[in-house]
Amino acid sequence: MYSVNEIKKGLEEKEFSTVEIVREYLEKIKKKDDKIKSFITLREEEALKEAEETDKKIASGKKLKILEGIPIGLKDNIATKGLKTTCSSKILEDFIPPYDAGAAIKIKEKGGIILGKLNMDEFAMGSSTENSAFFDTKNPWDLERVPGGSSGGSAAAVSAGFAPITYGSDTGGSVRIPASFCGVVGLKPTYGLVSRYGLIALASSLDQIGPFGKSVEDCIYGLKGVQGFDEKDSTSKDVKMPDYFKEIKKGIKGLKVGVPEEFFAHGIDKEVKEKVEYNIKILEKLGAHVEKFSLPITATGLSAYYIVSSAEASSNLGRYDGVRYGVRTDEYKSFKELIVKSRTEGFGEEVKRRIMLGTYALSSGYYDAYYKRAMIFRKKVEKLFDEAFEKYDVVVSPTLPVLPFKLGEKRSNPMEMYLSDTFTVNINLAGIPAVSVPAGFSKEGLPIGIQFIGDKFREDILFRFAYALEQEIKLNLNPWKEGR
Amino acid sequence: MGAYETVIGLEIHVELGTKSKIFCGCSTKFGSKANENTCPVCIGLPGVMPVLNEKVVELAVKAGQAINCKINKINKTDRKNYFYPDLPKAYQISQFDMPVCSDGYLELGDKFQGKKVGITRIHIEEDAGKLIHLEDEDVTLIDYNRAGVPLVEIVTEPDIRSAEEAYNFLKKLRNILVYSEISDCKMEEGSLRCDANISIRKVGSDVLNTKVEIKNMNSFKEVHKALLKEEKRQLELYRYGEEHKIVQETRRWDAGKGRTITMRTKEDAHDYRYFPEPDLPPMILEKKYIDDIKSSIPELPMKKMERFVRDYGLLQKDAEVIIDEKSTADYFEDLVLKTKDPKESSNWLITEVLRSLKEYDEIPVTSKQLSELIKEIKSGSISRNAGKKVFDKMCTSDKMPEKVIIELGLKQISSEGELEKIVGEILDNNIEAVEDFKSGKGKAFGFLMGQSMKATKGKANPGVVKKLLEEKLKK
Amino acid sequence: MKVSRDEVKYIGKLANLRFNEEEMDKLIKEFESILEHFVNLEEENLDGYEMYSFDEKSLRTRTDEVVNFDNRDKLFSNVKKMRDKCIEIPKVVD
Repeated sequence: MYSVNEIKKGLEEKEFSTVEIVREYLEKIKKKDDKIKSFITLREEEALKEAEETDKKIASGKKLKILEGIPIGLKDNIATKGLKTTCSSKILEDFIPPYDAGAAIKIKEKGGIILGKLNMDEFAMGSSTENSAFFDTKNPWDLERVPGGSSGGSAAAVSAGFAPITYGSDTGGSVRIPASFCGVVGLKPTYGLVSRYGLIALASSLDQIGPFGKSVEDCIYGLKGVQGFDEKDSTSKDVKMPDYFKEIKKGIKGLKVGVPEEFFAHGIDKEVKEKVEYNIKILEKLGAHVEKFSLPITATGLSAYYIVSSAEASSNLGRYDGVRYGVRTDEYKSFKELIVKSRTEGFGEEVKRRIMLGTYALSSGYYDAYYKRAMIFRKKVEKLFDEAFEKYDVVVSPTLPVLPFKLGEKRSNPMEMYLSDTFTVNINLAGIPAVSVPAGFSKEGLPIGIQFIGDKFREDILFRFAYALEQEIKLNLNPWKEGR
Repeated sequence: MGAYETVIGLEIHVELGTKSKIFCGCSTKFGSKANENTCPVCIGLPGVMPVLNEKVVELAVKAGQAINCKINKINKTDRKNYFYPDLPKAYQISQFDMPVCSDGYLELGDKFQGKKVGITRIHIEEDAGKLIHLEDEDVTLIDYNRAGVPLVEIVTEPDIRSAEEAYNFLKKLRNILVYSEISDCKMEEGSLRCDANISIRKVGSDVLNTKVEIKNMNSFKEVHKALLKEEKRQLELYRYGEEHKIVQETRRWDAGKGRTITMRTKEDAHDYRYFPEPDLPPMILEKKYIDDIKSSIPELPMKKMERFVRDYGLLQKDAEVIIDEKSTADYFEDLVLKTKDPKESSNWLITEVLRSLKEYDEIPVTSKQLSELIKEIKSGSISRNAGKKVFDKMCTSDKMPEKVIIELGLKQISSEGELEKIVGEILDNNIEAVEDFKSGKGKAFGFLMGQSMKATKGKANPGVVKKLLEEKLKK
Repeated sequence: MKVSRDEVKYIGKLANLRFNEEEMDKLIKEFESILEHFVNLEEENLDGYEMYSFDEKSLRTRTDEVVNFDNRDKLFSNVKKMRDKCIEIPKVVD
């Protein structure tokens, strides 16, 4: 509906009040989300109360923070104090955290108004949001198709205009994939740039919270709302980041673009390939130098990713046993039964599959061949990207090898679903940032995303490219067709 | 048949003396109400992350240096994965292949010819919560106060050859850790726990046979008893050619029954699936940091004992007793400073002071009080016996000896003038005894001494009385 | 890449998850298909690469001071069974 700048301007110029804006978004959600099903929990009363407070603040002439009065949506794996946080899992369906995630604290400090929690693949395991224990989220562009995952709810909500900024989490592509499928901008920040404290962990060495926005500028506001050091996270980095809004005005003339051949190879949908190549030509037109190079990491990267993420997940999810929180099975006569039954009943199929895979990869006899080898491979990926960034400012690729698929289409074989992550996982393995930007549409009107990959803490370069492209191709990103 | 030797290795868990837990700011205070010292981090809520307490690293490095270990400049934490109700995250953050310290040793002292017991490693880890099993119900309660309390695990080489050596090792280790202020090492509060691994082999062999793990020993004495029992059990099996019946297992020491009982066998052994803790980057310790900690270690027990023998002329056995507790050793040195008499000071320490510690938690008489008392005795104002009475009184009062002597009327009569009169009287009234003495009956002297002391109600300075008697009897 | 039923059962034990026969069959098939893909990791040339590089800054630590959690009342509000301020579970025998 509105961009962040439009809201900020409107509030400042007293065109509307915060209460009016928040109410407008809430009404839209209540009216239209039954079609999309992006939200799990709405916090109407509290949001309106906070909006009132913001209006008082505006009226008193106090200096406004960067996200003041902006409605925000959070993926349901980000802990919110006093507000149900489920990870879209049965085992946490009634869990209310007594504390706020580091990112949630920052959003609140910066004036953001949280509207509610968004649907996801259970425990962030999935690429389509079909693994949610509660319901499927639909792609606003085609209600029979998936919005991507695991942050499907977050991407769909922004696309459908339910909030100008939402946050998801990205472990192997879970922000970028739904961003691509839903035709919005989605960023996975450099590992360590955004606090993981309170982000219910899937894979601790890969997870990052990332913002969604309809425009690059909205996404920048999103990042600024959460980036920065958090002492509660020992992997949090303290790095001074540049003024992105200033940087994006510089354009991309003279910057160097690397195009990895393997990311355009067999298996990729023809329309996706053509659209992305077309956009790369636009980058050239805007003054960037484009060059092909070899980056042979896609196939092995996928294996390494699934080994590392499943292994860490199997350990991270050990705590879900019904003892201190979460759903306890009805009947149990021993401690052993309590935990086995609670876990078996409370976890969905994909979660159990990955816990098994991860346990296997860490078990005695297999640790060296799987987990250790995958971790060594990460060093190779890091080095190859380091070398690439000595030559190029950015590396570009399609976000996914496929177009948004139909609900239920890829349920038969897990490996088939995993292949969707081919172009995104290596970015997480290396800990570098990447953004997915709408590149256009397929013949059937399905969104296609282009991915910009950058060196550590070079989100500024990513935004420059994203902004330059966005301003040039000026897509219509409103999914609501006539009469819907 | 050949002689057999016992092979023992110990695994000691020590709670580090920090104010807050290893990964969060909760208090480590012992004896708090159930679940009072908890937070999202130490009870493993979804989404929480650990932040390492700097004091934990400091104390672990200190412990390593106090027992001659190599400090590993680069070390890291790992996850040890298993399920148990006292383990909130279903994994314990520990150290697997890169512990903070390795390759050290601890000397056992003179009784064992200064034998060195090798220390394989020391690593840091978090403690688990406590389980309370209810008596009459099928219920267990979980208290997470202890979850997250910082521990170091100290593992010895299998160098120990007897239960006695093990006992001695533990005492020495405890002393060093208490001296260095690393831990208060109170087994009764659980701040020191010990498990043992024991096996038997033929003397001269360097192979290690099936070892048995012993748990649940709650004091050093119990460790001693349990090891003796298990040693006996295994030896008997060897003697009857049934050593194959010794299986690799964990046995629980039952102090009540006085024997070890099977707990779990190897088949139930866990696959801990260790992997590096992704939430905590590795530690890189600078040389200066390591050196600074080394210089902060106070004089350790052995060195102190050597110094006491050398500088104060104490007997080794007396020095050993005095250095057993750091507080006692410090008290002793303070006393020497005040009295300038190491011999007297050590006498009092070994007798009256140590006796008082059986009744009181801390030494109940200040070094100032005791030093004044010693002065009074030396000056002859009271007898040694009277001094003991003064000491006892001062245990419950902070009055100085001078006052107590007056209050108890213990002042010794030392003036020759006064005593001469009394001695003279005694001699006049006991002519028979005087005759006896003069005719060579030495016993009579003792009788006359006794009479003189009686006449003064014991307050006479015996030395002066003796002198006067001798003088008078010579005439 | 073949995986035995016993192996999968053992992994299930480690992970505290239970599967019926049907689920077990499905899981084994899926495992094998996934592990088949992982063969490329086995074949990858990793010469010259190590698991750790230790080139980052040393782990950041915090000072040893007591800081009490500000919402201790709600800390156990998600527990299904409490008794005397402790969490209640069926008796655990060692």
